[in-house]
Amino acid sequence: MSPIRKGGEPFHYPGKSPGMLLIHGFTAAPQEIQQLGSYLNARGNAILGVRLFAHASEREDILRARFQDWIASVEDGYHLLSDRCSSIIIIGLSLGGALALHAASRLPCSAVIAMSTPHRMPPNPIYFRLRPILRPLSALIQFRPKKFTPWRDMQARNARVQYDQYPLRSLIELEAMLNEMRNQLPRVQVPTLLIHSRTDDAVPGEHMQANFSLIGSKHKQLVWIEESDHIITADHARQEVFDTIGQFLQQVSE
Amino acid sequence: MNIVQNDGRPFFIGSGETGCLLVHGFTGAPKEMRLLGEHLAQAGYTVLGTRLFGHATDQKDLIRARWRDWLLSVEDSYHILSGTCTQIFILGLSMGGNLSLLMSATFPVSGVIVYSTPYDFPVARIRPLIPLLPLVSKFWPFFSKGEPDWNDPSRARDHFEYPDYPIRAAYELNVLLKKMRQALPQITVPVLLIHSRSDNSVHPQHAERILEKIGSKDKRLLWLEQSGHVVIKDSERIKVFKATSDFIHSRSRENSKS
Repeated sequence: MSPIRKGGEPFHYPGKSPGMLLIHGFTAAPQEIQQLGSYLNARGNAILGVRLFAHASEREDILRARFQDWIASVEDGYHLLSDRCSSIIIIGLSLGGALALHAASRLPCSAVIAMSTPHRMPPNPIYFRLRPILRPLSALIQFRPKKFTPWRDMQARNARVQYDQYPLRSLIELEAMLNEMRNQLPRVQVPTLLIHSRTDDAVPGEHMQANFSLIGSKHKQLVWIEESDHIITADHARQEVFDTIGQFLQQVSE
Repeated sequence: MNIVQNDGRPFFIGSGETGCLLVHGFTGAPKEMRLLGEHLAQAGYTVLGTRLFGHATDQKDLIRARWRDWLLSVEDSYHILSGTCTQIFILGLSMGGNLSLLMSATFPVSGVIVYSTPYDFPVARIRPLIPLLPLVSKFWPFFSKGEPDWNDPSRARDHFEYPDYPIRAAYELNVLLKKMRQALPQITVPVLLIHSRSDNSVHPQHAERILEKIGSKDKRLLWLEQSGHVVIKDSERIKVFKATSDFIHSRSRENSKS
């Protein structure tokens, strides 16, 4: 009766400072950032991969989630890791990237990395048409199936731990979180790396450029990846993503 | 504008192969486990003080909380702690004790220590009304806490918890208690219960009933006399700390081998 789904467990690998705080995306699980965690731990760093509130359990749980709960999950991970390490680097994918940038604007850290991170709600015409009535509508229709996503690495796609449907109520929270993030972007002052795939089907590349232009850091860079869909930490070009992160970490430690 | 209040931060201190997972009580915060945690870290253990969902943020958050969320918080901490420890003891105060016992029925922990832990809903006169609580909560979400029962007032001053009981969450506490009672016979790991005869919130009888129902052969109950409910901070805390580290030391794997 373990309530966390297999593969949805948060993880911690001991190592040296800076500690790497890893944050997964909306309706997903720590599983999608686990390989990145192993890669960074092999470099010697301490790792903590958080589980965001109401993820990787029962999908009804997420209907009760508010975006502040996700910020609190990140803060919990941050506090735990900062008891083990003198400095922290915050890394996130998609919603996790938004949470990472938001955290980096408020909590002491030495760098931040955001991958496949939206700037605002992705341009889905149905979402914007329904947005004014989404709150009452979500009481009637709680979930909608996810559309097919064009992964390059189908094996990685099948290994994925996630809710198979989008919770309508939680989309409002996702949007609220992105609003919070946009407000905070000018306050991000630490070295920042953004990574995005040119063929991201869920969040178009313009989102990275919009985030990039608002980030307050002097030291900021953006890197494009080819041959991957949205989940760039698990899809085909993941090794390229890991190596890009490795190089960036090398630069900021010099 | 952090969401988790400064006094509500979870903590991860100490070192060593043996881990202690500390679980705070209903409407409490990791801070109430801190003194015990520091004692255990000094004794050579890795200590993780978890923050239960909806706690130490805004007490309104507890209205949305379900008992499973709290168990999930403990499970998260268990997985994080197992990243650095080869064996884990789980220790909980009051409702944290209920969660610890429930965890120990399904997770491979090396032992459990529970402090001031209830067997069923602690306020007997409310029990018949519990099915109505979700409805009551819609009109009357919070119930003011009564006078605390500290024996050492200096410890009361730095205590941090929500000022009220969220009524919706009290309903969830009752569900959790039911789940725990069902799980008690399945527990086979060593268990230590610590309870004060002067506990005003959870009557000492609760400890006796838990002791009786636990499936373990290795189970015992340590009585305190003067302390109030928060025994890990109140006047007999040194006795509590010593009993705690002695129990962990004697039930640790490397110790049983030698």
